[in-house]
Amino acid sequence: MTSSRLRLALTLLFASAAVFGDGVTLPASERVVLENGTVLILNENHNVPLIGLEAVVRGGATADPGDKHGLASLLANLLVKGANERSSAEFAEAVASVGGQMNASARLESLSISAGFMSKDAALMVELVADALQRPTLDRGEFEKLRDRSINLIKSAKGSDPNELMPSYANAFLFGDHPYGNPVDGSESSLARIAHDDLLAYYADMVGGDRLVIAVSGDFEIVAMRDALTAAFNDWRAATGTPPQIVAPERSASSRVYLIDKPGATQSYFTIGNVGVARSFSGRAELDLANTVFGGRFTSMLMTQLRTKSGLSYSARSRLSRYSQSGSVFVSSFTETGTTVEAVDVALATLGRLRDGGLDAAMIDSSRNYIMGQFPPRLETAAQLAGIFAMLEINGLDAAYINDYGSSLSAATPESIAPVIDQVYPASDNLVFIVLGDADSIREQVAQYGPVTEISISEPRFHP
Amino acid sequence: MALFSELRRRNVLKVALLYSLASLLIIWLVGGALISIGAPEWANEFVLLVLVIGFPVALIFAWAYEITPSGLKKSLDVDQTQSIVYKTGQKLNAAVSVLAVLGVLALVGQQLMPTFEFPKIIEPILLAPVYEVPENENVPQEIRAYTFDNGLRIIVWPDHDIPNVVMYNFVRAGGRNEYPGITGLSHFFEHMMFNGTARRKQGEFDETMEAAGGANNAYTSKDLTVYQDWFPRSALASIFDLEADRLENLAIDPAVVESERGVVYSERRTGYDNDNFGRLYLEMNATAFSAHPYQFPVIGWASDIENWTQEDLEAYFRTYYAPNNLTMVFTGDVTPEEIFELGEQYFGGISAQAPPQAIRTVEPEQLGERRLLIEVESPTPLLHVTFHAGSATDPTTQAMNVLLNLLVGGESSRLHRLFVEEEQIALAVGGFQMEGFDPGLVYFYLTLPPDADVAAVEGRLLDELEKIASEGVSPAELEKARNIMIADYWRGLATIDGKASALGNAEVFLGDYQRAFSLPDELAAISAEQVRQVAATAFDRRKMTVGVLRSPAEEDSQ
Repeated sequence: MTSSRLRLALTLLFASAAVFGDGVTLPASERVVLENGTVLILNENHNVPLIGLEAVVRGGATADPGDKHGLASLLANLLVKGANERSSAEFAEAVASVGGQMNASARLESLSISAGFMSKDAALMVELVADALQRPTLDRGEFEKLRDRSINLIKSAKGSDPNELMPSYANAFLFGDHPYGNPVDGSESSLARIAHDDLLAYYADMVGGDRLVIAVSGDFEIVAMRDALTAAFNDWRAATGTPPQIVAPERSASSRVYLIDKPGATQSYFTIGNVGVARSFSGRAELDLANTVFGGRFTSMLMTQLRTKSGLSYSARSRLSRYSQSGSVFVSSFTETGTTVEAVDVALATLGRLRDGGLDAAMIDSSRNYIMGQFPPRLETAAQLAGIFAMLEINGLDAAYINDYGSSLSAATPESIAPVIDQVYPASDNLVFIVLGDADSIREQVAQYGPVTEISISEPRFHP
Repeated sequence: MALFSELRRRNVLKVALLYSLASLLIIWLVGGALISIGAPEWANEFVLLVLVIGFPVALIFAWAYEITPSGLKKSLDVDQTQSIVYKTGQKLNAAVSVLAVLGVLALVGQQLMPTFEFPKIIEPILLAPVYEVPENENVPQEIRAYTFDNGLRIIVWPDHDIPNVVMYNFVRAGGRNEYPGITGLSHFFEHMMFNGTARRKQGEFDETMEAAGGANNAYTSKDLTVYQDWFPRSALASIFDLEADRLENLAIDPAVVESERGVVYSERRTGYDNDNFGRLYLEMNATAFSAHPYQFPVIGWASDIENWTQEDLEAYFRTYYAPNNLTMVFTGDVTPEEIFELGEQYFGGISAQAPPQAIRTVEPEQLGERRLLIEVESPTPLLHVTFHAGSATDPTTQAMNVLLNLLVGGESSRLHRLFVEEEQIALAVGGFQMEGFDPGLVYFYLTLPPDADVAAVEGRLLDELEKIASEGVSPAELEKARNIMIADYWRGLATIDGKASALGNAEVFLGDYQRAFSLPDELAAISAEQVRQVAATAFDRRKMTVGVLRSPAEEDSQ
């Protein structure tokens, strides 16, 4: 046994060097720009007989007009409810009858269709995606049905786990009227204001081949797939409108509190933060290292203080959302109503310790190992790879964003991380608090954190 | 003859004899030792080669050099009158004699004491554990399985696409192993397994794992507690050390227990007390089962979370966290041999325990429909409906999965099309069957619009269930359900995590990991008539439980 144990130790040593030395390498892909501006990215791999496709149109919920939040999301969902010759039912049947999957959704800065099919059904997949994007029926009856259902699903969510709705309240309060404050799926009142004509106008203005990226990964022949997609998309029209021009939002300069009243709630849910940084932020590796330690994994500072040591909560985290011009940085957790202030204070003290103490060398090592150790499974399937390729293209990034990440993490030091923490994580005098709970029990207590704006959860909106 | 006598004079012949005897002894002693420590065969050949090459070198050396009182000198430089080759020759004679005697003694010893034979030591290598290979040709042939002497079973599926590994540890302990007073204990124990050992303080388990690049989680169901580690290959030894430590040396610190009660209570408030779906789900189980422990919430009744004792926890650990009650699965960038070796090294010393008591209670037949109503503030009413169904190994279970797929599996399914899209009487509809060790439930859940006529929706649901039981399903519907299930099966096997889950669940629930690969054949064998039959049998109103959650009626709230 002894000598084989030694062999084992040696192979483990080499494996370790391979993982942490080289990082992760994005597989090779082919990039083609069609005549109308549509970008195709193709990556062939034959591990399982599946194909993943991600079609992304720039724009998204930031292009929702004024008070009609949720328009891009409604449109995305309607793209797959009837297209070309197929009715809504026939379209769903065409996808399901071969075991396919097709989902459409909107994000703040994009609208996308994700498709997953068996490789034998590649031609059908291309046909359905092309029909959905270029020839959607956008039937008035289907639109009204979906809009009314979406409104009711938000009502229903107000009786479910409040963690689901907290991001909508938090973005609305932090960003206010800035497009980053738009609730992507709309609110009960904003959805009710959307008419069928708004939908047709958004489709003509904001959706077209000039702002489309299609990434495909999986079990296919690259030439055949390229030809099929070129034939299907080369002649698609351009969108007529100007893409949303987004100005970076200002940070909140002073502390303020948004209290959402849910009478009878036995738990308070809180989110604390401010405006963060954009996807292009130069200190990405340093910020990821810091956020992992602060609130991005089980042993994070926030989990240790709010869960492991105090038993105040089941979960606590810090989350960075990074958009094209800026983003948000939010700490969030929840606790029994009676310990609301205690838990918020623990979160604030922990934020203070991050800002004062930074990261030492051991924390950086552990954080880097964790990030790199958990990275390969994010590029494991055809669907994941298609998503990554599309994300890079939409954001004007190249393979170096993935391939050089490991070395950027390795190069970070306590000295290079400290200024990033100072820049990104807000100080205690300019924090935005969003608290959802039984207002009668906590109203006076949360007033200590700043001027309070209150709203009832039954109000049909997320903005104050 | 002059050469021969010169060879004799210079002791070359004696050196040759001495060298040969010593070589034989070296080959005999060193060769056996090398085999016993598992060195490869070429190690012996290497020793032999060195000795053979050394032979002429030693002879030339003996010819060309002489040992003199002032040290070693070339023979040509030695004054032959002063030569002491004769004395050296005598020393060589003595050495030859000693070696000869040693050799004879060793040979005799070997004869007299057969237990001293080296082959005894190499026996474990010759009789190396025989790892199970797949019997069925549809099963990936690289999979290996092995059951250790203490009952621990490990299954390994190597896959080197990414430099990562997934570990699932299935503990056969869940809600069904509980009783009033300790409901929720299985799940609470899942938390305690991360909270310190005799070797590691609270938090160190996760700190060590995350610093090595690993992440973990765990879940508890009515049947099992399952621990999952996702890690880079480089963390392999560290994962074994961590997992063995918590199985062997778990500390159940009373102070940590108190703090963890708060964590679990927070989890309960989040998933159930402040979530209407979760609230209704718990009551449905408590109503549909009147005797079997499936009636208990896995999260535990609130009063039990507050009151279980140190003794409850210690007894639970002893009983269920024994190697003979565990099945581990490793998938990813590993070889079966290294996993089984590490398994022996880290888990081999943990003792088996008496098997846990079997669950004796069988749920009596339900003889009439049951109804429950929860009145709490709710913006939209919820309607849940259950019927009794089989266990994971029931022959009708796969047919029921096909039936559920075509009723509620996605946007094109029957009930979604009818209730959500066409009639718009529901915002969402879904369903599942439990598939546990014991007969469970088939469960339908509907989210209704704010002003819904709940009784009318219930009537529509029952109409459709009766319709499928009487009229059956079309060949196209059956084919669609099969295709969806096959595609989902492939999507599941596209990741090392999905592979670990599939192997482990098949092994634990169906008794054989190879069953994970029989789905395509099983689906092909299911007929439309079998699907109709399972609907006709299961959707019996006398075995139905209907639950509604809605805001208090207006007259009640006055």
